[in-house]
Amino acid sequence: MTAREEELKSGLARYLSARWNADTVVESVSRIPGGASRETWKCQATVGDDRRGVIVRIDPETSLIDTDRATEYRAIEAAFKAGLPAPEPLFLEHELSWLGRPFSVTTEVTGCQSSPDGIPFDHREALGQRKWRLLGQIARLDPLALGLGEVMPATRVETCALEQVDYWAKVITDDELHPNPVAEAAVRWLRRHPPPPAQKLSLVHGDYRTGNFLYTPDGDIKAILDWEMAHIGDPLEDLAWSMDPLWSWPDPHLAGRLLPHREAIAVWEEASGLKAEPVALHWWQVFASVKGIGIWISSSEDFHNGASKDPILAMAGWLVGDRQEQILVDYLSPHSKHRFHRVAP
Amino acid sequence: MIPKGTAGIDHLATRMVTGLLPKAADAYMGADIGLLSALVRLVAQDYDRAADVLMSDIEAAAAIFREAAPDIADQGLKRRMAEAAAWRPRSLRIEALSAHADTVLRVLIDLHAAVEAAADDGAQWASALDRKIWVFLDEYVAKRAYDSAF
Repeated sequence: MTAREEELKSGLARYLSARWNADTVVESVSRIPGGASRETWKCQATVGDDRRGVIVRIDPETSLIDTDRATEYRAIEAAFKAGLPAPEPLFLEHELSWLGRPFSVTTEVTGCQSSPDGIPFDHREALGQRKWRLLGQIARLDPLALGLGEVMPATRVETCALEQVDYWAKVITDDELHPNPVAEAAVRWLRRHPPPPAQKLSLVHGDYRTGNFLYTPDGDIKAILDWEMAHIGDPLEDLAWSMDPLWSWPDPHLAGRLLPHREAIAVWEEASGLKAEPVALHWWQVFASVKGIGIWISSSEDFHNGASKDPILAMAGWLVGDRQEQILVDYLSPHSKHRFHRVAP
Repeated sequence: MIPKGTAGIDHLATRMVTGLLPKAADAYMGADIGLLSALVRLVAQDYDRAADVLMSDIEAAAAIFREAAPDIADQGLKRRMAEAAAWRPRSLRIEALSAHADTVLRVLIDLHAAVEAAADDGAQWASALDRKIWVFLDEYVAKRAYDSAF
């Protein structure tokens, strides 16, 4: 066991003992690959005869996405209370004395995996139906009624789209190591062709994709993960992101490797009660790729200049960014052969 | 000097997967080694093509700048285009080529924005030039595409 693991075990045991008001022993800790925005650890704790699996998300020294832990925690809490499959939130801790950095604790969801590579062929359709039905249910949530207005910036149906463009365009210009002519052209296109106002404001997960939920071997989704980019906005943003060709690479024919695009949209429309109007959805598809490039550029900058040399940051900046540019050119170039799914506006 | 650098670097990536990955202490380290190996394979591809990619960017952009110059009214942009198009490399080191390619791309971005604005105002020359800039962008992306199973 490494010194870091020993330190985490003892610090977490002290913390859980205090929070549960009972002597707690942390039997094991193991770091989970992925979840690149925070250090994610799977831990087994014992309170008397009671064994409890918990997931601890610790603020990183540097990360793929700059987010506020309170936003993520409160979004999970809201989803859990609304009856959506999400890890049960236990504690959000800002005090540094326990683990050296702020962290959150949720219950472990067992018997599941998240890797898109592991999805059984026979369960793809059922999983796809469930995935976009759940996303439709998220779109039905009223973030203000859930109290999320306290941790998420307010917005309006008329302005939420271009506010997102401004945010990610700034990330690109602030963090780029080299000029990005494709991303710049796409940002200008988004500003010159603004979408219609959102049909409503809803909770936007912000990173809803195959790979960010836990599923069982028989094709059920038990927990939606990675809420760190959650915000209030146009629910079409999540739909477009969930179908970005990056998540079905290299085969663009099934959205998120699960369902034909039209079927995914139809399931979402039925579950959300909203319409995926083609002009608006196409705009959000282009936006999704601009946002993606923002994330990949930011991770590349972190890898070069930040404290962490985690290879996931380099992979995002090099390979994933390269693919995202291919998608954007496919969407926008007048010479495009439209290799990827594009809603016909 | 490594005359067959791409193959040599690829061998290193293979060694990481066959020699180190099976000995990873835990899943996290295993994932790290897998990622590092995939990244080394990307470096292998760039080893062979980097100079060619950057020089072809610089030359293709210079051709666009020369064609666009008569129609560009902004004298500052016109001067930057002329300087970028006149540049000749004194070194073929990647760092030097990359620095100039960055300059060229910044000029191209500003030219593209100006061309779009002119096209929106109905200028015929601008629509044709916009299509040529998109050919540049199509090729810019295509020649950087990595071959990766990751």
